[in-house]
Amino acid sequence: MKTSHIVVATYLVFSLILGIEQWHVLKAHASNEVKVPYSAMAPLEQYLMDRDAEIALARSAAPDSISHDATVMVLGTQGFEIGAEGKNGFVCIVERAWTSPFADAEFWNSRKRGAICYNPQAARTILPITYMRTKLALAGKSKDEIKEAMKAAVEKKELPALEPGAMCYMMAKQAYLTDQGITQDGAHNMAHMMFYTPKINPAEWGANMDKSPIVIDPRAKGDPEPINTFMMLTGTWSDGSPAPLS
Amino acid sequence: MNPTVIKAIALGAFVLGAWQMKAEDSKNPYPTTMTSIDPYLMDRDAEIAMARSAAPPSIAKDATVMVLGRHGYETAVEGKNGFVCAVGRSWDLQKNNPAFWDPKIHGPICLSAPGARSFLPIYFKKTELAIAGRSNTQIEDAIIDGIAKGELPTPEPGSVSYMLSKQGYLNAGIKGPWLPHVMFFVPEIDPKALGSDLGDDVPLDAHEEKIGRYTTIDVPVSNWSDGTPVNPNTDGHAH
Repeated sequence: MKTSHIVVATYLVFSLILGIEQWHVLKAHASNEVKVPYSAMAPLEQYLMDRDAEIALARSAAPDSISHDATVMVLGTQGFEIGAEGKNGFVCIVERAWTSPFADAEFWNSRKRGAICYNPQAARTILPITYMRTKLALAGKSKDEIKEAMKAAVEKKELPALEPGAMCYMMAKQAYLTDQGITQDGAHNMAHMMFYTPKINPAEWGANMDKSPIVIDPRAKGDPEPINTFMMLTGTWSDGSPAPLS
Repeated sequence: MNPTVIKAIALGAFVLGAWQMKAEDSKNPYPTTMTSIDPYLMDRDAEIAMARSAAPPSIAKDATVMVLGRHGYETAVEGKNGFVCAVGRSWDLQKNNPAFWDPKIHGPICLSAPGARSFLPIYFKKTELAIAGRSNTQIEDAIIDGIAKGELPTPEPGSVSYMLSKQGYLNAGIKGPWLPHVMFFVPEIDPKALGSDLGDDVPLDAHEEKIGRYTTIDVPVSNWSDGTPVNPNTDGHAH
């Protein structure tokens, strides 16, 4: 073989190798196989918890005077199921990442544990959103597919209308809401209550104004569920111990 | 927040929060009607400042401010953010409250636009009747009648108010502003459905206001409107 043929052949082989490599990279990008954190649902086991631990975490979302008589829901492989029957109308649950705003980069963060106790009005009107999103997530739907399905459910009025007075407690010391430090001590959690309203301009409540005690997550734009969620820090965890106020 | 202090709230009325009732003497030193409006009037600038102090400056600076005049409330400052700030007087209390005509009562409040639409018509009607010489019973009856006939409103969604002023005087027992708090107003629901009255560890207090057909949710907060923190050893305690 002539030298020029060897050079050409070598070039072609390397080009082929590089081409295959490049094709793999492009394919990986296209299918989200590259290492983008929380780009897709993690294996289901990562979201599941020991049942007793989940019940305890769920109850710790509210002061004992509320949560000890609350119904508790726990996540199973088919969705949420009753872990304990209650009698005061409150429902405590540990929500997973897929109930986050769709704009949240941690939408699939399997470490998230949002312990919440809903009052009866919220249990009837907010929890159905949680259940529907959970059903879709466990069915393997992508974030975009879940968002589209929720949008369709809103348009078809398949979700109950928000009841006045819907609110919840999120005062669990052991909850994990985000990888980011969100309080003055860098915690991944904060003790707070949330109040739900129909979609209104947050400024109408004075939310997120300088020194206002009412805040709203700017990522939560009532999209697609037409609900605003206003938060207020409580200053104490559910066990009565002090919690950060900023 | 100190739960025993929170439980001292009984709230209710638009401006003042009927929580003061529990601390009042049962003997009523006041007449049954307003004999003169003079004791209730304030220096106009002082009233504007007090009204604005109900909310953080970021909200209050662009709010409409209403002040009490001889013929009722009037606009002292035109706002542009929908909030309305005012200093409520004693006739917003329930009729059996001994402080119903106490001129020392001053409740600075800033209401969201829906809150203003929901509650100011009721409070202004009370004021009109008070100045016209009606008794506490007549005032309350008129409000009940007005709501029943649909002439007076019930709470709109988004009705919220700020009471973060250090300057208020809500209670003869506390002789001051109690604690800074935010009040939400919702159509009448059982306070227990909000966690209120279930235990001293609950960080809010709700009260069913049967006359106005709404429920208030009081949430104490950690800072006054000027940004200074609550002193748990002194603020909100009876003197």
